[in-house]
Amino acid sequence: MARAIAAEASVKARRAEALGARLPPLMVAAERVAATVAQGVHGRRRVGQGDSFWQFRPFVTGDPTSRIDWRQSAKSERAFIRETEWEAAQTVAVWRDGSASMRWRSRGATVDKAERAGLLLLALASLLLRGGERVVLMEAGARPIAGLPGLDRLAEAIGADRSGAGEALSGLPPTIPVPRHARVVLFGDFLSPLDEVQAGVGRLAAIPVTGHLLQVLDPAEAVLPYTGRIRFRGVERETNTLIPRVETIRDEYGRRLAAHQAGLAAICSAAGFSFGVHRTDHPPETALLALYTALTAR
Amino acid sequence: MIFVYPWVLLALAALPLLWWLLRVTPPAPRSEIFPAIRLLLGLKTTEETPARTPWWLLVLRVLAAGLVIVALARPVLDAGAALPGSGPMLLVLDDGWASAADWPRRMEAASTALDRAEGAGRKAALLATAPNESNAAPEATAPMPVPDLRARIAALRPKPWPVDRAASARALRDWKQPGTAVVYVADGLTDGAAFSTFGDALASAGAVTEICCDTPPARLLLPPRSEPDRLVARIAQVPQPVPTEAAVLAQSGDGRTLARATVTLPAGASTAEAPIALPTELRNRLGRLVLEGPPSAGSVVLLDERWRRRPVGLLAGDMASAESPLTGSLYYLRRALAPYTEVREGDLHSLLSRDLSVLILADMPLPAGEERDAIANWVQKGGLLIRFAGPRTAEQPLGETDPLMPVRLLAGNRQLGGAMSWSQPAGLAPFADSSPFAGLTVPDEVKVTRQVLAEPSATLTQQSWATLADGTPLVTQSAQGAGRIVLFHVTANADWSNLPLSGLFVDMLRRLVDLSAGVAGAEPHAILGPAETLDGYGMLSPPPPAAAGLAADAFAKTTVSPQHPPGLYGPENGRQALNLGAALPALSPAPVVSGARVEGLSATAPERALGPWLLAAAIVLLVVDLLVSLALRGLLRRSVAGAATALALLLPLAPAHALEQNQPPALATRLAYIVTGNDQVDNVSKAGLEGLSEYVNRRTAATLVEPDAVVPGETDLSFYPLLYWPITADAQPLAPAAAAALNDYMGRGGIILIDTRDSGSGEGFSPGADTALQRAAQGLVIPPLAPLTTEHVLARAFYLLQDFPGRFTGDTVWVQRDQDRANDSVSPVIIGGNDWAGAWAVDQSGRNPYAVIPGGARQRTIAYRFGVNLVMYALTGNYKGDQVHVPAILERLGQ
Repeated sequence: MARAIAAEASVKARRAEALGARLPPLMVAAERVAATVAQGVHGRRRVGQGDSFWQFRPFVTGDPTSRIDWRQSAKSERAFIRETEWEAAQTVAVWRDGSASMRWRSRGATVDKAERAGLLLLALASLLLRGGERVVLMEAGARPIAGLPGLDRLAEAIGADRSGAGEALSGLPPTIPVPRHARVVLFGDFLSPLDEVQAGVGRLAAIPVTGHLLQVLDPAEAVLPYTGRIRFRGVERETNTLIPRVETIRDEYGRRLAAHQAGLAAICSAAGFSFGVHRTDHPPETALLALYTALTAR
Repeated sequence: MIFVYPWVLLALAALPLLWWLLRVTPPAPRSEIFPAIRLLLGLKTTEETPARTPWWLLVLRVLAAGLVIVALARPVLDAGAALPGSGPMLLVLDDGWASAADWPRRMEAASTALDRAEGAGRKAALLATAPNESNAAPEATAPMPVPDLRARIAALRPKPWPVDRAASARALRDWKQPGTAVVYVADGLTDGAAFSTFGDALASAGAVTEICCDTPPARLLLPPRSEPDRLVARIAQVPQPVPTEAAVLAQSGDGRTLARATVTLPAGASTAEAPIALPTELRNRLGRLVLEGPPSAGSVVLLDERWRRRPVGLLAGDMASAESPLTGSLYYLRRALAPYTEVREGDLHSLLSRDLSVLILADMPLPAGEERDAIANWVQKGGLLIRFAGPRTAEQPLGETDPLMPVRLLAGNRQLGGAMSWSQPAGLAPFADSSPFAGLTVPDEVKVTRQVLAEPSATLTQQSWATLADGTPLVTQSAQGAGRIVLFHVTANADWSNLPLSGLFVDMLRRLVDLSAGVAGAEPHAILGPAETLDGYGMLSPPPPAAAGLAADAFAKTTVSPQHPPGLYGPENGRQALNLGAALPALSPAPVVSGARVEGLSATAPERALGPWLLAAAIVLLVVDLLVSLALRGLLRRSVAGAATALALLLPLAPAHALEQNQPPALATRLAYIVTGNDQVDNVSKAGLEGLSEYVNRRTAATLVEPDAVVPGETDLSFYPLLYWPITADAQPLAPAAAAALNDYMGRGGIILIDTRDSGSGEGFSPGADTALQRAAQGLVIPPLAPLTTEHVLARAFYLLQDFPGRFTGDTVWVQRDQDRANDSVSPVIIGGNDWAGAWAVDQSGRNPYAVIPGGARQRTIAYRFGVNLVMYALTGNYKGDQVHVPAILERLGQ
């Protein structure tokens, strides 16, 4: 069982890598890198561990002699020590809504929302890992991942949480400690009331982190294609409503959805997040490109 | 169409209510799961039109309800008019020979009439107008419930004798039931002078409905007339306004058709004739003439030996030398006659003491005396006397005239050619057209060197059947009484001519023998007992109980009756046939009974209940409604819908496909039965073969699996060792492809067990199966058959069997007579009537559903054992054939 899950995760990871392969490695534009000690590509403009030259400074007693840069020292009478810039990796926290409403697809759709969100998440992660960034899944006990080989672990973690039933089904990211100034990417349908979404996003913004919020919608949710007399039920059957003629409320529904999305966008911009919408009947490449642009934008 | 319960139709008034109810109840909503339901909550639809069931669905449902109501009212199609009166129904049925041809339709008409009586809740009685087999006069039964009467009618068979109008009229006059409805199923013939009396009696018994008149009455085949080289078949019928055609088949004793003659019956003719020309050797094999068409006693004429056997007696003047090869006077005669006729020899007295058609005297003068008188007497009665001249005849004393000579002879003889003569041996002139030898070619090499001469007379030319090239008579003849005398003016050996050496001699003798009358049978006053008699369908069967013997000279003028049914009478070697057509008065059409309502025989289609079909239609509509409703609610995926629709459409076809879904038959040994089309019979066959397979598996090393149903011509038969073929009474002739398949199957070693299921007490269960077998097996090549004896391998293949019962017992089982080495001496066909499948059959719970008759576990066991033997025989051929010879082998080994 475990092996099967691992194999499935590996397949997913490969598919996501293939999806991301058409884009260059993603280095997150980071004004402030997350407060971690992880080695990375983001120079911290101070002396520290890194590959890039930072400065020569005169040898002072107590420095290990092995750090003397003899080439530089030979130019003068003093001994110099070569110092490198501290280069840190940006941490990107990713989260995908795994609630029941995400595991639904309408009759005409080929994938459910959770699957599409997972694919996008993995593709993004692969881009990030290729760029040398660290990716952490927003999940209790999750460890940051650096380097492409860690992608499988990520895929496995997503698969595992799909199959786990005990997840909080709030539809909002859990309150997990995220490094400060990390970037956050949230995938979900965000059909919860705007208040709840605002609370969740606000909590993240207070850490502080910024990031991107991608609403993944099924085409049926986007356009309400039903006709006739239909009793709609929630995914948990918690509530239902009988619509005598669905076609008559289609426009009203569209307006409500647009208002909801406008609310989401407002919440995001207030918290410094960017916001996007993706429909599962659209190609995932579009959404990935949008994510790429959003994360590289300063 | 009528309704049995018309008041149920009142419920149709409730349909509008149903319509309204269906309209006000909206269809159940579809159910959809939708995550974004929060956005939908509280949305109010702007249009408040209530959801409606689509109108066509409403129509569908109301239609289904209407169909159910109409079906419950039990509509019946073709129910016919109601019966008049209120008392019992009297069914008067003509069951004489003339009704056999369309007997099933008469039964249907009677059944339809009974349906009407049953529907009206009336009792019914039966009067069959022909006397029954025990010669009891027609008598009406007491009124009884219809189901009881149905059983009686089912047991009724057409009789081979005419109906008795006078006695029926008496029976009708005794009928005293007020309000009787008389239904008369007529055969369309008056059958005697008493018809008007009968008609009056019918009309007086009650209101008459006559079922008749739309089919021409039956034809009657009259005994043929025998002419020298042909039989003339004669047909009698009721004069028809249009010319018609009929065909007469000349069949041999074993039922093979040797010739077919078409008889054209001109418009308005009551009789017609057609010649059947057959070579003598074939004609001697004729057993019967059959009018082509439905079988009946009237369409069969049995031919007895009068039409066939022509014994020839040989006598020579010098019996001592008559037999010496090449020179004896009888030597050539015997060789010429023996292949075609029965040649008898002996002294004159013993020859004439038996029936004799032809007497040949080779150079034997007949001096006045007892012998001559005996011969003259015999000739007077119809004998054909052929004499050959010779030295003894030529030396006849002058002045003494032999009256048994066709012409007066000159003394001495005439010699042609030779050392002392100028003349040459004379050839023969071509035969005159009036001569019986006409058409025979005269070979040039036939020469006559010596002959006796006739005394010239005015009639000599007319009396000559053959002359020499110079006009001298060679063969002369004269009629004497009923007989004839023929004289060859030469010897019967090669002394005087080389005629006996030529083929012409053989042909001439055959023509002459053909001229003779057949033997007339036994002494005129001997009483001949009935041996085999015809039943109503023209099949030979054991004589009925009332059959009595008949004097030999009374055959020509005896009308057939239960006492004297048509058939063969007399001892084995002197059978004489009594034919229905021999003494029957001319056929005359019966007028319609006065005051009767007339219905056509073919118009009385049987009642058909429509209810089940309407219910089935309603169910189909409701299934469609269910599918549509499910689809409207979105509960039906497209694939599911397709499958369900396909299933609904295929459901009625499923049994038809069952045959093609047979397991691959080559993978295991299995028995098979031929599908008859009658479900009940097929089920018995299937159950029987299942029971037998199971028994064989239990008792022997053979492993048989589930039996198959096969259709010859469609199914590949080559996988089955044994086919079981039950014959139903309505079996139709095999299609050519089916017959070819079965013939091929038999030719390649397959065995067909043909079961008419009518032996012994089974006759009542499947009447007419014998006829049906003849009809069905027409196209099959069935070898000559012989009764199955205990000496046959089949009786020893596994168990040692003494008899071969099935559900019934007692009838002979027939197998191939001759051993056919090609197929391992295995009989390709086994014919019997013991209903073996019925005895073998087991039901689901393993019991035998059909009782064996007369019964006993022993009979069932023996039946199974016969089945095991049969399977073993089919699987191993004559492997156990040696078993038959074990005693002989042991004896040879000196044990």
